[in-house]
Amino acid sequence: MTKLNSIYIIDDDPITIFGIQKMLKGVVECDEIKTFENGKVALDHLTEETKKNIEPPEVIFLDINMPIMDGWEFLEGLMQLNLKEKIIINVVTSSIDPSDYEKWNTFRINCLHYLNFKNKPIFRIDAADLKRINLAS
Amino acid sequence: MNSTKTGLDSRIIQQLPLATAFVDSNFILVDASETWYSLYDIPSEKAEVGIFSFFEGHEKCSSELLKEYLIGNDIRTIHHGKKSRENVIWFESTFAPWLDQNQNIKGTIVQTIDITTNLTRDYELERVQDLLNATAEVAKIGSWEYDLITEKLSWCATTKKIHQVPVNYEPSVSEAIEFYKQGYSRNKISMLFHNLMNEGGSFNERLQIITKNGEERWVAAGGKAITKAGKIIKIFGTFQDVNEQMLAEKRTKESERLLTTLIDNLPINVFIKDKDSRKILVNKAECEYLGKDASELIGKTDFDLYDQKVAQLSRDEDLEVMKTMNPMLGQETLNVRKDGSITHFLTSKIPLLDLDGRAYGLIGMSMDISALKQKEEQLRNLINVTAIQNKKLINFAHIVSHNLRSHSANFSMLLDFLSKENDELEKTRIMKMLSSASNNLMDTLENLNEVVEINTNVNLDKRKMNLNEGIERVQQNLSAFLQKNRAEIINTTPKAFTVLSVPAYLESIILNLITNAVKYHRPGESPKIVISAQKENDYNVLSVSDNGLGIDLSRYGDKIFGMYKTFHKNKDARGLGLYIIKNQIEAMDGRITVESEVQKGSTFKVYFSDKAQ
Repeated sequence: MTKLNSIYIIDDDPITIFGIQKMLKGVVECDEIKTFENGKVALDHLTEETKKNIEPPEVIFLDINMPIMDGWEFLEGLMQLNLKEKIIINVVTSSIDPSDYEKWNTFRINCLHYLNFKNKPIFRIDAADLKRINLAS
Repeated sequence: MNSTKTGLDSRIIQQLPLATAFVDSNFILVDASETWYSLYDIPSEKAEVGIFSFFEGHEKCSSELLKEYLIGNDIRTIHHGKKSRENVIWFESTFAPWLDQNQNIKGTIVQTIDITTNLTRDYELERVQDLLNATAEVAKIGSWEYDLITEKLSWCATTKKIHQVPVNYEPSVSEAIEFYKQGYSRNKISMLFHNLMNEGGSFNERLQIITKNGEERWVAAGGKAITKAGKIIKIFGTFQDVNEQMLAEKRTKESERLLTTLIDNLPINVFIKDKDSRKILVNKAECEYLGKDASELIGKTDFDLYDQKVAQLSRDEDLEVMKTMNPMLGQETLNVRKDGSITHFLTSKIPLLDLDGRAYGLIGMSMDISALKQKEEQLRNLINVTAIQNKKLINFAHIVSHNLRSHSANFSMLLDFLSKENDELEKTRIMKMLSSASNNLMDTLENLNEVVEINTNVNLDKRKMNLNEGIERVQQNLSAFLQKNRAEIINTTPKAFTVLSVPAYLESIILNLITNAVKYHRPGESPKIVISAQKENDYNVLSVSDNGLGIDLSRYGDKIFGMYKTFHKNKDARGLGLYIIKNQIEAMDGRITVESEVQKGSTFKVYFSDKAQ
């Protein structure tokens, strides 16, 4: 059982949120799982927390298609926060559009954080989605 | 000279009025009259002189010939001439034997007269006769003559030749008339001849004859009555073969008619212009196009017929063609008539050259390609519409697959949970989620259906709607929502302002714009919405402005009206609403625009077309 301090779930679909929460229950021990209905609410919250010197979440589940602020915009905003901590970000989408995958790849290369790409439906959350495994060790 | 020896009285001889000379058998002049010497222009000498010396230098009388004549014992005449300074003097000399009392030939008596004048006259007559014959021969003009007293008809050689009868043929009047072709020609000549005999006068007619060899030929027959003491005694006439001319004329007329028929019935406008671009020939199509008779168009220039600008353009083309002598071929031109109607033409202009190779005008041909142009335009529009439809379709297909996929993903996930779940309470919860997912899917399908319906409904029932009433109705329906969000609506729409719209669409448009404005308000600021309306050209424009979050148009300009996000349970997500109303507005031939500034607000403008479909 992995132990984490904070996880963000950013998705406008409550069923997906429910699903992720349910799947997390079996694999992680976390006191603080926060959910946000779009990128903007999440980014605003994160910005506030950073100002208060509260550590960012270790893992984020991020939807792409959301109203007001989508997943990509959230990632851009996140990069501008210049966090020291590296976050594992699981991009979760029902899109099978190749252009979305390419975009994800661009972010993966340019972003300091660890980016995973997960196509819906997801049935289980792996350890790799929660913790960066140091392959060298 | 001894008169007794000769038996001549020299004094009498000298006085003879005709130039006379007495020559002995030795060809020596014995005596001669004064007129002899003066005629031959030789002074009289008493010495004996040979007769030959008088004829020296004369043409057509050699000494041999003279000798022969002098020794002959019968009367002979010769013509001889002598060249003087300017002309030839012609003489006629008669030689007669000179007999003594015993009828013995003593010599010859020669008498000479000057026949120059007579000969010239003869010669002139002969020349005229020859000329006449030659003329008749060349011009094929013959003559005929009818004597009313002897009832004899005579034809000249040429007339006979035209009839192809032998030279010795002597026609009767009835035979002559029968040469004419049965029908019009024969009837006509009979009548003309009859009239001439009875009433006099003259005629000249072109008729057809059948020659002896059976050839059909055109002739010009003329006749004139000759009267004497008030009585018609003779008819004199001409007879000319005009077959070649007639056939040539006929051919010319036929080719002229062919050309006219061709030009007139060509389905393109044909015109000929002179150096000053005045029309000198127009065909039927051109007349019909301009709605005027040919007589009204001849002499007119393009300035009289078309718009000033178009006429100047055409005149410039004309000048270019005539100056360079290069034809202008298949040029697309635009004609604007005086009434403003526009026609597209495919025009060619070809220079007309005179025999010296200078352009004195041009031939123009214009084909009306307006219909073609219109088709082209329609096709282009159709391609545009198709392209837009195609884009919409791709967008739609993309959204459909994406959204349906997200629902199916949820089903898969929830069913997977359910299959592994043992806790009854949790199972119930998952079941509830499943039914919610199912409802979402239904909603999605309904929404998709709505979009499809907007795009497939061709018979839109557009009506005149009062915009103000529409806004008030929506406000009432949203009253709870507006109150909760403390939204303020300022409606400045004129009371009587109307728009042409499908009733349901109008409400959907207003509802979506207002709820969006409220939903995307700036946090901490209560939403303030200004609704106004005004007329712009053919459109009635509804404006909805808010003081909300605004949209970064440089980033999302192209996406804002696209099917942006999801048909998830929150139907009021911005993307869908705008997507639907955009479809509704476009289906009514209108359009929607947006102006926005981030953190300031947005203004949506809906253009309702004023035209009924």
